[in-house]
Amino acid sequence: MIEVERVDFVALPVRDLARADAFYGETLGLKRSSNSGERWVEYETGNLTLALLSPEAMGPDFEPQPNSGPIALRVPNVEEAREKLKDAGVEFQGEVIDSGVCHIAGFSDPDGNSLILHRRYAPHADGVAA
Amino acid sequence: MQIQRVDFVDIPSRNVERSIEFYRDVLELPQNPREPTEFEAGNVTLAVWKPEDQGVEFSSGASHGIALRVEDVAAARAHLEGKGVEFVGERDSGVCNMAFFTDPDGNSLILHRRYAP
Repeated sequence: MIEVERVDFVALPVRDLARADAFYGETLGLKRSSNSGERWVEYETGNLTLALLSPEAMGPDFEPQPNSGPIALRVPNVEEAREKLKDAGVEFQGEVIDSGVCHIAGFSDPDGNSLILHRRYAPHADGVAA
Repeated sequence: MQIQRVDFVDIPSRNVERSIEFYRDVLELPQNPREPTEFEAGNVTLAVWKPEDQGVEFSSGASHGIALRVEDVAAARAHLEGKGVEFVGERDSGVCNMAFFTDPDGNSLILHRRYAP
């Protein structure tokens, strides 16, 4: 039994740390973690830390490969959040999708890391509210 | 725009049953009774999905790691190696210990423990 306690961070590879810093901090409006320095930068989402892996942190030979498994960012209203991000220049992969239980809108950060805006609206099968 | 939390991190899979066995039986994460493809990792849900079922081309998700906190990285690594998991390396960053491995679909995972205050 290895007893996984929690996820400490999900690493997001980036080629241009300043550009990624602006995207996560200003465009998405996430809080920069106090653990962050000039080379190692983290953002807080409420429950999960996103760590930017950059050439500054990993060395000049670092070859970032985009993370293709979407990270689902919960927002109060997917359509409104999508409009705001579009106004900020973010391109979305199509319209808002209604899965039947949640709204989803897919996009990428400037390095191609996959993200989605997500909001579940339906109660769970056992009646627990979304 | 207000981001409230991360609801889940997707784990792309080519074989959902194989992924379920890995996350449930090898990593021993609690399986969501409502959604058998979802695993609770303490603060966030890891959601296995098969992109090909939705017309999306498969590619491995986490390319550089989802950091799973364990009490003791070396002990956890030995335990997983005993179950057949192959590790690709380990590192002491100066503030934390890490050991790197992948799930059966190539998603990058890290055993992680910070030891520095």
